[in-house]
Amino acid sequence: MNLHGKSLLELKQLVIEKKISEKELNQYFLKRIRKFNPKLNAFITVLENNQLGIPYGAKDMFCTKGIRTTAASKVLDNFVPPYESTVTKKLQEAGMSVLGKTNMDAWAHGASTETSDYGVSKNPWDNKRYPGGSSGGSAAAISAYLVPAAIGTDTGGSIRHPSAWCGVIGLKPTYGRVSRYGVIAMGSSWDCPGPMTLNVEDNAYLLKQIAGKDKYDATSSSIAVQDYTNEIKKNKKFKIGIAESYFAGIDDQIKKHVYKSIDVLKKLGHAVKPIKLLPPKYSISVYTILQRAEVSSNLGRYDGIRYGNDRNFFGQEAKRRIMLGTYTLSYGYYDAFYKNAQKVRSIIIENFKSVFKDVDLIVGPNTPVTALNIGEFEKYPFYGELMDQLNEPASTAGIPDLSIPVGLDSNNLPIGFQIMGNYFEEANILNLAYQFEKETDFFGVIKKGINNYKD
Amino acid sequence: MKKKVLTKEDILHLAKLSNLKLSDEEIEKYLKQLEETVEYVKNLDELKTDKVSPTSQTTNLTDVYFADGETNERGLKLKEKYFIVKRIM
Repeated sequence: MNLHGKSLLELKQLVIEKKISEKELNQYFLKRIRKFNPKLNAFITVLENNQLGIPYGAKDMFCTKGIRTTAASKVLDNFVPPYESTVTKKLQEAGMSVLGKTNMDAWAHGASTETSDYGVSKNPWDNKRYPGGSSGGSAAAISAYLVPAAIGTDTGGSIRHPSAWCGVIGLKPTYGRVSRYGVIAMGSSWDCPGPMTLNVEDNAYLLKQIAGKDKYDATSSSIAVQDYTNEIKKNKKFKIGIAESYFAGIDDQIKKHVYKSIDVLKKLGHAVKPIKLLPPKYSISVYTILQRAEVSSNLGRYDGIRYGNDRNFFGQEAKRRIMLGTYTLSYGYYDAFYKNAQKVRSIIIENFKSVFKDVDLIVGPNTPVTALNIGEFEKYPFYGELMDQLNEPASTAGIPDLSIPVGLDSNNLPIGFQIMGNYFEEANILNLAYQFEKETDFFGVIKKGINNYKD
Repeated sequence: MKKKVLTKEDILHLAKLSNLKLSDEEIEKYLKQLEETVEYVKNLDELKTDKVSPTSQTTNLTDVYFADGETNERGLKLKEKYFIVKRIM
């Protein structure tokens, strides 16, 4: 049977109907991984003997019992978790299994995967380019169809950014919608696990499986989880906001495709209106201060005494972040940096809340440029932080945000489009994306990506 | 001349607090890079924050406890007041 390009739910159905066994399914994807992963380096660990369950890729940030989990850092080179993260446990219970642990920036610090101690992943669309990050391995793996779906984590764009650069669908849910238990902590008040898929329905399905209150994560929310796969099929019309401040300094080709996509939304009967959002530069600063502070605290536990290697194994980016975080939290600077950033975080939250009184969703470009060449990040100030500038506002506020592909630029590289929603309104975001998918099929981007990697 | 935000002594102090061993090259590099970052984030001073309260949790949860009767099944097993672990020696 030809399995190439089949969605997660289609594969699941084939297994249910016994048209294919789970063993055959796993062998099919293992064969593809063996063929293409040496080139793409999307996986850090591959479960060669996996035979059961519907296979998926989990970012190497999720603790998986008995399976090495490195966070792409040599500090955890030999770490085999004695317990399972809530997300991977829930997916196990839904009949899925981890086929491989995907590559990422070390500790999820970055937007390229080049800070990985296991080598940079390659963008499937052009192997000389970055896949984006930090969940770059996950995005590359599904774009090249090495697994039908993957799970990533997003702190300041780490799901949405690589999804845009690799031309797949990635959702950062509302903070607290999905449990962080067993996810190696980066910025604890920001981290959001979320699904990365080849169509909207798979994304809705996976979100439903992993969302919900978890007694082991006190910051997870008890707000009821919706049946997202049904929600996306409802006929809804939205009021959609567009903020001019999100278009400043954006590549012209990206702008063109984003405006074209907004026209599609208008044609579908949605009302589009301008809104005022604070420029993303403030979110970059808030993110930089608070996230580094949380990093310095979260990475404080790695001393090599109880497990893993000692602090000499930290890479450049982790050390830089620990240093800055330590600085902004230290005596004499706390009020000027950390506390002030927490206050501006309130201002950004209020800004979104007032805008959401007026509109249901906000759309715009996802990244300022398409995938950069490997090595190019050095040229950009702030070590790539500016690549995440359009993603960081939603992270700062804790609202959900989805990235979808809306075309290719002149270099044949995918262009991302983001849809932000109000707190816990993932259903509306996915509904709009589903309508867009039915109308445009994402202009053929996802299919083209898969077809670049034939069996 | 512009006042220096950070000095080499600051970097050494931060490295000590963070328990990181830095090479001379790294000290120079971080001094420059941290200074750049600190300069950038000063854009927050453009906003008035004196009457704003800080946010530490974005979805407004407070005082989260285990529900009555719920147990922590994922912690170490207890026997009376002792943890049960594998024999070490």
